[in-house]
Amino acid sequence: MGSSSTAPCLGEADSATLDIRPRRRFRLSCRKESFVLKTAMFLFCAAFAGAEIRTNYEVAQPASGDLRFKWIYGSVCNALNRDPRVQVVMYNEDTYVMRQNIAVHHSAPFTYLLMGNSGALLIDTGATAEARYYPLRATVDALLKHWGDLRGKADLPLTVVLTSGENLYQNQGYAQFRGRPNTRLVPPDAAEIDLGGRVVTVIPTPGTHKDGVSFYDRYDGFLFTGDFVCPGRITIANDVDYLKSIARLRAFRDSHPVKWVMGGQIDMQFLPGVEYMRLITYKPMEHVLQLDPAVLDDAAATAERLKGKADVIIRAEFAMRNRVGPDFRKPGTREADLPPVPVVGMLR
Amino acid sequence: MSKVWLGAFALATAYAAGPARIQFPTDIAAAGSFPAKWIAGSPSAMDNQDPPIQVHWYNPHTAILRENKAYNFEAAFMYLYFGNDRAILLDQGSTALPNFWPLRKTVDDAIASWCARNGRKFEDYELVLAFSHLHGDHWAAENQFVDRRHTRIMGLSLAQMVAFWGIEHYPEEQIAFDLGGRKLLIWGSPGHVDEEFAYYDTYTQILFTGDMFYRGRCYITYWDKWFASMQRLIRFVDTHPVKWVVGCHVEISRTGQDYTYGMTYQPDEAPVNMEVATLRRAFDVAKTITKPGIYFTGEVYLCNQTRGSITMDANPYAY
Repeated sequence: MGSSSTAPCLGEADSATLDIRPRRRFRLSCRKESFVLKTAMFLFCAAFAGAEIRTNYEVAQPASGDLRFKWIYGSVCNALNRDPRVQVVMYNEDTYVMRQNIAVHHSAPFTYLLMGNSGALLIDTGATAEARYYPLRATVDALLKHWGDLRGKADLPLTVVLTSGENLYQNQGYAQFRGRPNTRLVPPDAAEIDLGGRVVTVIPTPGTHKDGVSFYDRYDGFLFTGDFVCPGRITIANDVDYLKSIARLRAFRDSHPVKWVMGGQIDMQFLPGVEYMRLITYKPMEHVLQLDPAVLDDAAATAERLKGKADVIIRAEFAMRNRVGPDFRKPGTREADLPPVPVVGMLR
Repeated sequence: MSKVWLGAFALATAYAAGPARIQFPTDIAAAGSFPAKWIAGSPSAMDNQDPPIQVHWYNPHTAILRENKAYNFEAAFMYLYFGNDRAILLDQGSTALPNFWPLRKTVDDAIASWCARNGRKFEDYELVLAFSHLHGDHWAAENQFVDRRHTRIMGLSLAQMVAFWGIEHYPEEQIAFDLGGRKLLIWGSPGHVDEEFAYYDTYTQILFTGDMFYRGRCYITYWDKWFASMQRLIRFVDTHPVKWVVGCHVEISRTGQDYTYGMTYQPDEAPVNMEVATLRRAFDVAKTITKPGIYFTGEVYLCNQTRGSITMDANPYAY
């Protein structure tokens, strides 16, 4: 790996031929190869120890990564919750997804940390300012230190951006980064944020917030949409803006490779078209975070139906509200194309 | 049947040799006090250091328990009244598992301390478990007591609840239940649900109205039944001395701010105890209500046939 090497792409392993020879012979050949490999790695490490490694983020297809696990989802009693305050998941070596513990704040928002050759980008900052409850800054610092040690990059400059500066579920942790050295705390006015070979596109998406912004990371093929599109409660703040923005986002998706839409929160259940009550802190049957890019079409069609109305429409992957409160419901809201849901008793 | 049985039991106990009997006069309300502030959650629920259940002794023979909001946001209030022969625990909270939320141990500790103070034997002292109504945040921990000696537990259906008190004409009939020199008056109070009772303690003159009337959002499922129950309550306070009206929850701040359903922190919570005037004012407002909707009486919200999952919150970001 030199300055011109490409990033490890896990997806390529899929096309590698499988070794189906008997296990014993395979092992023998492995041993021989491992000696050569180890020697090569030792020489490589000796030659490049302490040297900066440059990664090529120009990929033909979205880089691969892994989200196959369950997010922390709260507990019966918040006071007895012993989950981490910030759950960190490495999607791939240069992409980290962090979730705030729901026992610290009921919104349990997601924040994203992306690394590039010359900078890191933190998208959103969570719902709690106090670092002793929600140590986002310390978590980001540790991740950057660890990543920097591996890549030979000390003090990677950090940029902190928000999908909305007014969203209380995502702007509270911002305060923890004030005064952090080597840090840029600016709402992005540029069309792009260059992290050093890894370019993140800024797409204005007002609609759920007046200052709403989405981000597109070409390397992972992710659209980071905050609460503009998420597997949860999409509460439209201005329906005209929302329709314009979702059209812009769909056009962008059609001209760029998008793997997943990554929202900032989950309010839906795994059962299609069932949402959790907003302030509930035990959600064992949550929907997955990542959404297929086709969700943008559903969101656009639903927003079109809600235009000018005070109403709620519940779809399989989100619940969209316009001109009503965030908890507004009415009987028969589930659409006919959604599968039936078993009836469970109410607590009160 | 059960009334006869209970009466016989009370008589037998009364004449048995034992410690001096405590007098529970009913001519004036027994002195008692509420805490200046109940435990009311914390900004970060997982960092809450309060006990799972707050035990407040209103007076030496009356304990009021409150569930910690970091264990369950319902933060139910429970009332433990002691008499010469038995204690009654009204409501059993919102969390079932004893290793999560130790109601049995907390109540046993309270009873043990009362027995020690009053020269009773903990092992022989009776406990009666009853609840205000058939919602899970009012009887969840009932099962923690099923293997407890000298304990009678109300069943989880209207038929069993009514039979437990020996009421034949629910909800109008009022019965008296004797804790041993300390009498409770009990009658039906449906409206929030079909299965609910009101409990009046003649010693403290505290009227416990469950979820049918409390300082917060009174979710009224059946308006006609609720209004009839309100009329019964008003008739009762017209004819009986009532010092305080208390409910199961507090969902409102001292300044009238609604604490949304599910909140785990209520820093400026209003007191659980209400004046009789609060009940009368609510009744005056109720008399004017003809349509479903949310009505504020100045002290409590009357949520007439609105769905419990709907809140009063608006979208703060609308522009």
